[in-house]
Amino acid sequence: MSETLAHKRPAGLNVLIYGFIVFWVILAAFPFLWTVWGSFKVEADFFSRESWWNALFGTNTIRQTGAAFTGDGYYGAWVTRDFWRAAGNTIVVTLFVTIISLTFGTLGGYALARSGRNYAFWILIAALIFRAMPHITLVSGYLLPFFQLNIWGVLPTSIIVLVAINQPFTLWMLHSFFLSIPKDLDESAMVDGCTRFQAFRLVIMPVMWPGVVTTGLFSFLLGYNDFAVTAMLLSADNQTMVPKISSFLGSVQEAGNVMYAVAAVVSATVPLFILVLFFQRQIVSGLTAGAVKG
Amino acid sequence: MAQIRLKNISKRWNNFVGVDNFNLDIADREFLVLLGPSGCGKTTTMRMIAGLEDITEGEIWIGDRMVNKLEPKDRDISMVFQSYGLYPNMTVYENIRFPLKVRKVPQDQHHERVMKAAAMVELEPFLERRPAALSGGQRQRVALARAIVREPNAFLMDEPLSNLDAKLRVSTRAQIKNLHHTLKTTTIYVTHDQIEAMTLADRVVVMNKGLVQQVGTPMEIYDRPANTFVAGFIGSPAMNLVPGSVENGVFTAQGIRIEGLPSTTKGPVTLGFRAEDATLAQGQGQIEAPIYSVELLGEATMLSMRVAGELVSIKVAKDYRAEIGETAAIAIPAAACHLFDQSTGTRIGA
Repeated sequence: MSETLAHKRPAGLNVLIYGFIVFWVILAAFPFLWTVWGSFKVEADFFSRESWWNALFGTNTIRQTGAAFTGDGYYGAWVTRDFWRAAGNTIVVTLFVTIISLTFGTLGGYALARSGRNYAFWILIAALIFRAMPHITLVSGYLLPFFQLNIWGVLPTSIIVLVAINQPFTLWMLHSFFLSIPKDLDESAMVDGCTRFQAFRLVIMPVMWPGVVTTGLFSFLLGYNDFAVTAMLLSADNQTMVPKISSFLGSVQEAGNVMYAVAAVVSATVPLFILVLFFQRQIVSGLTAGAVKG
Repeated sequence: MAQIRLKNISKRWNNFVGVDNFNLDIADREFLVLLGPSGCGKTTTMRMIAGLEDITEGEIWIGDRMVNKLEPKDRDISMVFQSYGLYPNMTVYENIRFPLKVRKVPQDQHHERVMKAAAMVELEPFLERRPAALSGGQRQRVALARAIVREPNAFLMDEPLSNLDAKLRVSTRAQIKNLHHTLKTTTIYVTHDQIEAMTLADRVVVMNKGLVQQVGTPMEIYDRPANTFVAGFIGSPAMNLVPGSVENGVFTAQGIRIEGLPSTTKGPVTLGFRAEDATLAQGQGQIEAPIYSVELLGEATMLSMRVAGELVSIKVAKDYRAEIGETAAIAIPAAACHLFDQSTGTRIGA
């Protein structure tokens, strides 16, 4: 189909179209590729004041380390400055945020989707309002009570706050996925001998996976990328990756710290690529098809 | 196997009455059809029996248990849904087996019972397929097999044929009839198609606007409709209904005059007669009116003519030919006529 269309178009237009796509890909991918490349250089190259060619050829990197590429930034970040601990914290936070959000989200979304009551609608509207609030407004309100309760700075507190921020969204998203599953499916399961919960577990959940994976991915990204909550609610020891990167950037009095940040940024991005590649089929089907037909 | 008893069943949503004071005893092994136009409450009645809808008022008994408060799973009925409700992630085999599995029927019986149910609806070649890879008729049969696999108290079928094409509908209808004959399980069947009701039912319940209009065998309902609603709903074409008045056993309206009716009635009435009871008159007929249209059906010819403001259908011999606008004389035997009260619509006389 697209091939025949491409044949019909005048050659000039084709050049224009493909040229634009190539341009767009470069525009979108270049900053990241540049960062990946630069993360293997020393600061004098990547942030060179003489010539940006240094970042490409690594003139100073060769002078300082003897090779065109160096893993010094990664070593400094991961080993010297304990980035591994931040990575571990991020895993804990995102894992728990995702699991808790999905548990409440599937149960609540299912209940709201199958409830014929008026208040189900108002609960969803309330969820929408909380979803629209900037995260920082919630965090600033939490700070004082958390200090007083002496639960500031630890991971569980951030997890709870992130779940609270994320839950309205997961509820909405899963609710609409559940709506797309015909009610006949639950009903025939119940007539066949299931309790309401068995119908949910044995019949509805198996066809909900695209929705759960998609929603889970968004929950994961929220926990993974969060800065507002984790920066303000975690002590320096318990920081996750994003606030940790920010702290690398903030203390420039020590040479090489900026390169730690660059290396850490690349380290933090790679898992996302792997994740999206791994789940892309489910995500696409989850985003487009809704769920399944009966 | 069980009889089902509905005592003063009502369903209301706020001010809207879905089903109003429904009373019925359904005998063991009976094939009962709930018939009516959409929104008449027939599906709601069935869903209340299944336990999928709360009962506002009244009692439902299955066998010797009152089931009002029982969950659907505890009522031991099985149901075929209009959209089949097949589990898309399971194969046909697993779909049919599912009720056995969740009801904890001993494992060693599963295979034999699934195969038996599948054989009854000729599904053996498709057992490893998923529902998405089946045609509409095959999906319908999976739903049937899933319903019969565990030998429940009763089958409930909610318009099971309405998603099939016309040809498949006829063959599946015969299959359902045969299944009921073999299994002899009490069956409640909901449909808006009066032909399905006539062909399948031991007894038909005609409903409209939440109210039972008539309960009876298909022939009773066809031959003695209780009111104009039933008369106009049953039969293809439906019964002709002509407003007019009767005096001394003679019904008159514009273009129509029928003598020999019971002389006990007087005043305005609605006259009903079926298209196939009318014939071409030799000489003078009871109806003399210009022909409105002529339709060739193959096995017969259908005439329409306008009588007293209503279009009436007359079924005549298949070789009859006439031009639109010609006047035709039609004979209607008085014995084939039904009289209904013009204001209430109820039947007058036996």
